[in-house]
Amino acid sequence: MSLELAKIILYFLSGGFLVFLAITITRDNFGYRLNRMTGAMLACAGLGPLFMALGAIAEQGLAPGMRLDQISFYNIHYIWELFFPCLLVFSWIYPIDRFRSFKHPRMAYLVFIPQITHVIIILFFPEFTKLLSIIEIDPTQEGVAAIVLKPIARLFSWILLLASYVRTNHEVIFGAFNLIYVFSAIFFLETGRPLVTSPRLKKQTEVVLWGTRFGLGLFVIAQLGATVLPYELPAGLTSVLILVAMLTGAGFFIFATIRHQFLDVRLVFRQSFVYTITSAILVGTYIVMVLQSRRFLDPIFGEQAELVSYVFIVFILLLFQPINNWIDNIIRALFMRTRTDPRNVMGRFSRQLISQFDPGQLRKIISEILKTSLLVGQVYFVLFDDEVEEYALLPGEDVPHREVIGRDDLMLRAINLLDRPTDMSTLSDYMENSKLGALLEKNKVRLVLPMKDSQHLLGFLALTDKITGYRYSSEDLNLLGVLSNQMVSALTNARLYVESLERIRLQEEVTMARQIQLDLLPSAPPILSCTEIHAQSTPSRTIGGDFYDFIDLGDDRVGVVIADASGKGMPAALMIAQTQAMIRSELHNGNSISTMLANVNQQIVQATSSEKYVTLFYGELNTRTHEFSYANAGHNCPLLVRSCGDVEFLQKGGPIIGALPGMQYEESTVKLETDDLLFLFTDGLSEAMNEREEEYTEERICEFIVSHRDHDPESILRSIVEDVRTHDPSTPPQDDTTIIALKMNNGLEPHV
Amino acid sequence: MKLSDRTQDGIVVLSPSGKIMGGPDASLLNDKLHQCIESDQKKIVVDLAGVEWMNSTGLGILISSYTTLRNNGGELKLANVTDKIHSLLVITKLVSVFEAHDSVDEAVGAFGQG
Repeated sequence: MSLELAKIILYFLSGGFLVFLAITITRDNFGYRLNRMTGAMLACAGLGPLFMALGAIAEQGLAPGMRLDQISFYNIHYIWELFFPCLLVFSWIYPIDRFRSFKHPRMAYLVFIPQITHVIIILFFPEFTKLLSIIEIDPTQEGVAAIVLKPIARLFSWILLLASYVRTNHEVIFGAFNLIYVFSAIFFLETGRPLVTSPRLKKQTEVVLWGTRFGLGLFVIAQLGATVLPYELPAGLTSVLILVAMLTGAGFFIFATIRHQFLDVRLVFRQSFVYTITSAILVGTYIVMVLQSRRFLDPIFGEQAELVSYVFIVFILLLFQPINNWIDNIIRALFMRTRTDPRNVMGRFSRQLISQFDPGQLRKIISEILKTSLLVGQVYFVLFDDEVEEYALLPGEDVPHREVIGRDDLMLRAINLLDRPTDMSTLSDYMENSKLGALLEKNKVRLVLPMKDSQHLLGFLALTDKITGYRYSSEDLNLLGVLSNQMVSALTNARLYVESLERIRLQEEVTMARQIQLDLLPSAPPILSCTEIHAQSTPSRTIGGDFYDFIDLGDDRVGVVIADASGKGMPAALMIAQTQAMIRSELHNGNSISTMLANVNQQIVQATSSEKYVTLFYGELNTRTHEFSYANAGHNCPLLVRSCGDVEFLQKGGPIIGALPGMQYEESTVKLETDDLLFLFTDGLSEAMNEREEEYTEERICEFIVSHRDHDPESILRSIVEDVRTHDPSTPPQDDTTIIALKMNNGLEPHV
Repeated sequence: MKLSDRTQDGIVVLSPSGKIMGGPDASLLNDKLHQCIESDQKKIVVDLAGVEWMNSTGLGILISSYTTLRNNGGELKLANVTDKIHSLLVITKLVSVFEAHDSVDEAVGAFGQG
């Protein structure tokens, strides 16, 4: 009796558990065929033991001699046989969904016909022999009616005979069907297995297949085989085998679901499986203990036993708390540490991304992680490309070369507005005339994953369907949303890293350019018998747009150049280097000052755009005659301070160099006397600005030079720089500053 | 630099204000000029009354505007040249290149005579 009761309880528990599992799986993702079919399969499998339990209960209460299968209500339990067609359909959609490739997918559901027929026959046609007597026709009857009716009656009687044969031997006939279904299903599952390539999916398939093989194998031996084939097992063994088959089969399925993400069941539900298992074990143990305790308590406490048992229950509950935690931990450790657990995926992601600065390598890692963790088929990257300043589909496995996407692309603009992973089907309105749309369609993109920092769209990931052919679950989408944030910071870091490397490289280049520029300046002023010259040039940045030069022209002539290119930094430096080279080559060709300047102007006009120009002053000192010939091309007028204090501005010449074509330059000559001071400067000196935006001004330069005309050139340069610095203390100066002082020597007589 | 524009007697008057210092200023003025050239308005007066200050790059922008317009068969005249800019034009000897007038009316009128 107690063995029977245990059997009934076990049947109930396992059946109920399977049905619960089925409901959970189906409810979580009803949209997925795999979930629906697995749910249906488990529900049918669960109905079996539930009906068995009901049957066992009914049997207890039946009158002696009455057989259970005589109760027509009870026959509804055959409905559980729908498990077999469900299994067959399942074998077509797992592990790879081959269902979609069928010409008429709905035809596949025809496999349900035999089992449905079975249920109908069992429920509605209990006795065919009675029907036979109804249509029986007297063989002696003659006439037209007999001639018409006889063949019909015969046909019906054959059909009914067949039906009654089926009815009588239904267990064997439909048992055979079920057996065929089981073997076909195993066959299809086995043939589907080699189609799986992903290592993780392989493991999952292994687990599911072992569960199916083991469960079905046991079931075939215990029930189906015994029904169809001529052998019989002891009744007790059959029920034990069936129970074991069911529980192990379901166990493998659950393990595959939790550990290897067999079904796209949300994490919450996966956890709920675990809790269900834990609590089932606990409740079972608890019931046993309570029952046992009553057996002890009743004889001892008598009427007080009930009260004492409550106290005992509380005591047991307290006792169970640590054990509860312990079991919970074990189950967690066993099931929850999977590669697809979001926390693990994110941990892995962070670890790998944080140390990677090479953008190409970074994309590879992202793609790899998405493929292994979420079984994404292919990952494409559309990112803002700094090189072309446009978004571009970057080259990868299936993309031979970069595809630049215009800023105005309709699809791109639509994606720009997204802030979460989005299915392509919701973007179908933007497909028309969109290059991006066409590219995504061509590559069978299913999901776009925008990556945004605080305001900008860095780009997006385009994911194809999963390799399993299943759609993305809401759990996947949540995870992808979080991962996209991590990718944004990783990609931004990588870009900043590359930029900082670039900056260091540029800085090195600028330093080298500065060295070249310094080398182009005269290392020391020429030493002449009649004059003393000093020069100084201070760039406002590492490299500047000013230059000066002294050129030995032979025949007692020395050329002096001071020039200032418009703008600052590298572009200005390139301009002056070019100008300096041109001046030198023109002078070495023996051209006059005015021709030289006209030629240089013409060349620079042709070589650069008109907003780039150079102001330039060129003078030639004849050390024998002390004549100074010059032309001023739009430069700040150099000052000629006579020893008496009179000032002359050397302004003759022409417009700035490089702005307008065909300019003419007028040459002029002054005679320098002993103690005359020539002071040349660039606008960095005259326009040095203080905090109140007041310039130092040419007037102040003039006053300063006149008052310091008795000093030697070196000290004049030093003191004017100091004076300017008191006006504008910024170092380096705000603009490139170049100054030259030339003083006629009083100690020596010129050669005549 | 800010740039406003109006038309007076069929002649475009561009009025930059603030400091002309290069960078975005260059493209601002340049884009405006190209718009004018495209719409066949090639007689332009640049009113410098609102310009506080102009550096070498700013002068470059002005020269560039001048040549762009001239290369497209147009003409540029300056009006309200401040002392500061005038001295810049004197130093660079561009006074002879740019036609400078004391007022916008005078500059616009000068187109009529030409």
